[in-house]
Amino acid sequence: MADAADSLVEVAVVGWAHTPMVRHTDRSETELLMEAITAALDPLGLTRADVDFTCLGSCDYITGQAFSFVSNLDAIGAWPPKRDSHVEMDGAWALYEAWLRLQEGDIEIAVVTGSGRSSTGDPALIYPMEMDPYFLAPLGADPLTFAALQARAVIAAGIADERSMAEVAVRSRGRGDVDALLAEDYLRRPLRRHDVPPITDGAAAMVLATGPRARRLTARPAFIAGLDHRTECHYPAFRRLDDSPSTRLAAAAAGLGNGPVEVAELQAAFTHEELLLRHVLRLGDGVTVNPSGGALAANPIMATGLCRIGFAADHVAGGGNRALAHATSGPCLQQNLVCVLEHRS
Amino acid sequence: MTRFVESTITFPYKRSLGPLVGAFMTALTERRILGVRHGDQVLVPPMEWDPATGAELAHDLVEVGPAGTVESWTWVPSPSAQHPLRHAFAFALIRLDGATTPLLHAVDAGSPSSLDVGTRVAPRWRGSRVGRIDDIVCFVPGEAPEVEGEDAGPAEEPVTRMDYLASITYTNPVPPATDRAVAATLERRLVGLGCPHCGRVYAGGRGHCPIDAVELGPDCEVELPQTGTVTNFSIVTPVQYPGQTETEPFVRAFVLLDGTDVVLPYSPVVDLPADQVRVGQRVEAVWAASADEGEQGGMGGAWGALAGWRPTGEPDVDDPDLVNRIF
Repeated sequence: MADAADSLVEVAVVGWAHTPMVRHTDRSETELLMEAITAALDPLGLTRADVDFTCLGSCDYITGQAFSFVSNLDAIGAWPPKRDSHVEMDGAWALYEAWLRLQEGDIEIAVVTGSGRSSTGDPALIYPMEMDPYFLAPLGADPLTFAALQARAVIAAGIADERSMAEVAVRSRGRGDVDALLAEDYLRRPLRRHDVPPITDGAAAMVLATGPRARRLTARPAFIAGLDHRTECHYPAFRRLDDSPSTRLAAAAAGLGNGPVEVAELQAAFTHEELLLRHVLRLGDGVTVNPSGGALAANPIMATGLCRIGFAADHVAGGGNRALAHATSGPCLQQNLVCVLEHRS
Repeated sequence: MTRFVESTITFPYKRSLGPLVGAFMTALTERRILGVRHGDQVLVPPMEWDPATGAELAHDLVEVGPAGTVESWTWVPSPSAQHPLRHAFAFALIRLDGATTPLLHAVDAGSPSSLDVGTRVAPRWRGSRVGRIDDIVCFVPGEAPEVEGEDAGPAEEPVTRMDYLASITYTNPVPPATDRAVAATLERRLVGLGCPHCGRVYAGGRGHCPIDAVELGPDCEVELPQTGTVTNFSIVTPVQYPGQTETEPFVRAFVLLDGTDVVLPYSPVVDLPADQVRVGQRVEAVWAASADEGEQGGMGGAWGALAGWRPTGEPDVDDPDLVNRIF
């Protein structure tokens, strides 16, 4: 494996930007992306003409428009024609594709984005339609239900309890009182309002560069030391809900065990998910988890995972040595991506 | 103030079930629940492939339940329109007797206090069953299955397909540039937006330049001519589908506006039979008599009261490159 790692092209996050994260924006997804991409490129002295490859992450189901990524191309300035791709996934997976593309070694700069206007529809009604069409969608099996069933399993395994979940909520949002929160009614037991994510509109854009170019563009690039993603079977009831083997495998493949991280940005939209992920990743008390506030503070679907990588990169750019970013997709942490970022001299 | 429009998108899916899921759904109409054997395990709902390895399983079906045991549950105090019950209920993971995996389904338990891990439940069958997972309305506490209403009996033929109607309502912002373009048409004006960087002009209320990726505000507005040349066209033979109002073949033409680089796509033609449309034909704008008419007919949408284009009678433009201009 060491040989394979040595032959990889060095790729770093050299900058990123996100729009204001709000409950409801009156701007279109294309306009959000236009703003985020410009804000990511400008400080680096780059223009869209300098970008060799773009990969956009978005979701037609959320936008309510078939091929919605086509209008989003207006934000990248695709003339003369550009190398471009799209994933119907969080921008973290767009980053994975761009990282792979940069491994070809023939180009230097890529831009990846994640964008979504969750306020366009009602997520509680849209997400069940993305579930298994035979056994789950006709029942209206919704994300809150799956999260509640997983929370129950995580609690039964002794990995979390309602108090530690409330503590995650207070720490992430920087407000609230644990005892007061625990006095509230259940939304979907064992989940209360504070255990679930907000609905957020927003977009994020990130600039990746290969080694030498990255070092010229910025003082402290956040180099991607390892990147991997794994998925589990689609029917949640067939999985052990008090574990996340796909996260564990992705973390091992991304080289998490090769050295300590100071910061971990975890895409935990529900409080119990953070506690489960900490447990699975064996993150000790010395690791600062979600200093950004995480998905509990702002949850722009399709950009939430990419933002985790952005905030982890900020830690390295700001003087840190090593950080972990995690992104997830699907009910009950079905698919998980782990990215380890580090400073290199 | 940004204006928002609501739209509902409906997808009437017809899904093939395949040999295994089809057999499961057919059995539901017979008030039987099937699992599939996988070594020592019995998977419910049945899968064609091993969930862990993806290896194809022998289609060795076995009847389970109909009663089972609640392994986990959550209470839904306020059901959505998609949920199986209109009043508060539980979603539960139910291990049916003889199965080794739990099935997610609803339990009509009355109140959360009457449910616990270990509670025994049995299905409440729909009287009229079509071969869908919701042929089971829900589960109810106890050992005895129920039937809701009169039992219409099993399906006459094996079930091979299921209907699933996906319908979603969205609320989207209307870009201010679109509203301004529509307002101009009510004054019988066509306006475009000129990019200050590349000079290209965009019509139809597109509020940004896709080449330079910059927003174009009201200061970028330019007046567009109301005469042009047909560059290309298609004759559409209408297929009847929900919402289709056309019955006869109709034309959609692409019109290059005089003295500009702007092509208006998919434009209707007026006073011009379909078989007389030509590439190079000279045309002029036709306006709807009223704003209401503009909303309903013609180009509608971002084009407002522009009803379409009619021939001016001038000689055709002879340019073999015209046909390439569709945007």
